[in-house]
Amino acid sequence: MSTGRSVGILAARSIRNIRRLPSAFFPALAMPIFNMVVFAGTFFAVTKIPGFPTDRSINWYMPLGIMMGAAFAGVGLGFTTIRDIETGFYDRLRMSPTSRMSLVIGPLMGTLTRVVMMTTVVIAIGIALGARFSGGVLGVLCLYIAALGLSTIGAGWGLGLAFIFKDMRGAAIMQLSIFLVMFLSSAQVPLNVMDGWLHTVARVNPATNILRLARVGLVNESNVDHLSFGAVWGGLLAILLMGGLSLGFALRQLRKLSN
Amino acid sequence: MNNAPIIAEQLARHFGDVKAVDGINLTVNQGEIFGFLGPNGAGKSTAVRMLTTLLRPTSGTARVAGYDVVKQADEVRRNIGVALQDAAIDPLMTGYELLELQAVLYGIAATKMKQRANELLERVGLTAAADRRVATYSGGMRRRLDLALSLIHQPAVLFLDEPTTGLDPMSRLTLWEEVRRLNREGTTVMLTTQYLEEADQLADRIAIIDHGKIVREGKPSELKRSVGDPTLLINVSREHSDAARSVLARFGDMRPTAEGTLGVGLRGGAERVAEVVRALDEAKLVVEHLELNQPSLDDVFAEATGYRLEGADNAPQAG
Repeated sequence: MSTGRSVGILAARSIRNIRRLPSAFFPALAMPIFNMVVFAGTFFAVTKIPGFPTDRSINWYMPLGIMMGAAFAGVGLGFTTIRDIETGFYDRLRMSPTSRMSLVIGPLMGTLTRVVMMTTVVIAIGIALGARFSGGVLGVLCLYIAALGLSTIGAGWGLGLAFIFKDMRGAAIMQLSIFLVMFLSSAQVPLNVMDGWLHTVARVNPATNILRLARVGLVNESNVDHLSFGAVWGGLLAILLMGGLSLGFALRQLRKLSN
Repeated sequence: MNNAPIIAEQLARHFGDVKAVDGINLTVNQGEIFGFLGPNGAGKSTAVRMLTTLLRPTSGTARVAGYDVVKQADEVRRNIGVALQDAAIDPLMTGYELLELQAVLYGIAATKMKQRANELLERVGLTAAADRRVATYSGGMRRRLDLALSLIHQPAVLFLDEPTTGLDPMSRLTLWEEVRRLNREGTTVMLTTQYLEEADQLADRIAIIDHGKIVREGKPSELKRSVGDPTLLINVSREHSDAARSVLARFGDMRPTAEGTLGVGLRGGAERVAEVVRALDEAKLVVEHLELNQPSLDDVFAEATGYRLEGADNAPQAG
């Protein structure tokens, strides 16, 4: 049984549905654009805070918009899986002898394709609105890696919850958890301007490291070393660890679905 | 060692305190169409979900196509085809795309995939609709596509869970014919149904399940014979019901019937109908309707469970 072919056809099903169900994709594209424009426009004054790492608010908020879009696209896989469970279609997939891994990775690949499309569009609009990648191509690459990584973490989490709840009760937890993780991080302001419990929570929140990776090509323009390994390893490690854990969680819950 | 394609021993599934399937024993022989008959909630679908690896048994064992459904689930999946209740089909996909997806998931080589998909589409009469989204299909078309999907890998054992529920009579007959054809080609079929006629028409053997337990099992003809006497049904006005019941009870055991009808297992058969009519006449009871029915599967069901399958939605359910 070829896992690769199964992954491919399950990914193709997900991607095909972008065209067949645009009403489900366009809000996921519009939300990060809206977040980027509204945050950058409303909170432009944060760049005046001493120690703020960029003087362009769009450089700070464009990655945030992308990362929120990526996280929600990830947990969105949980929503579509709940639909498949409710209609019985997921039983068809489970009854096939293909590997359980391909049932997780296939739809994930479809989701990551959507994230690449969304990230590309938001970057294009962000650049048109004044965002500048001082980190060049490497900086752009870091943003894509961070978006794909966060989306993978969200997808694993969303899938696992879908397999536990099997209906839309899981949806509220998926959404709430994304908001909590994102807003209890350095989403709005850098760690060095935070204080108290929020600083403590944000410092240990893996999303902070992933956001740092996402922004590494857009901030600290005056510091020539800002794209060093030291600046990105925390984000990469967080993606590897959290991604592995969340996909493991999804796979475990999938296997327990017949209990 | 028993080589039957489906063997269940003390198979049980509990949901909390509810015993949906309560320790059933079952053997389906090679090349049989086996009917699993029971009302909604009797435990049919739960049993099928365990046999098709979708649900883990609480206790007991089952082997399908020679493999243990828990320990060798992948091998079981490779050897069975399943069309579940409520055709589980993604409405955004076309018929051909679904067959393609199913073929890949079952590891059918890309070179053979197209040919196999076209063969099956032709077989179930969906060639013209192959490139249409399933959302535009009628209920009958969906069922036929579901059947085609379950056959993509030429399974040795086919599970059909209430395949004709909700279908019009014509679609039902078409599907029956296809099931017979598959069986003639050597496929062992396990069919769950709540339709007596379906079980009677299709099944070589049946098991009746009620409240999670198998209450009768055998060939339909044998089961019907085991009920014995034919059932005499009469309708009288409500105020004469008790009097009519006491008259009928002289001719045999009263049997469960639909509300408003009285039924007796007529000892001695058709020869005694005239005698019953005379007795009712002597008791000055006006009979509105009278019929004599040879034993049916519904009689078998009624005898085994104490209520009739027709109108069984009122019966207590096992979950």
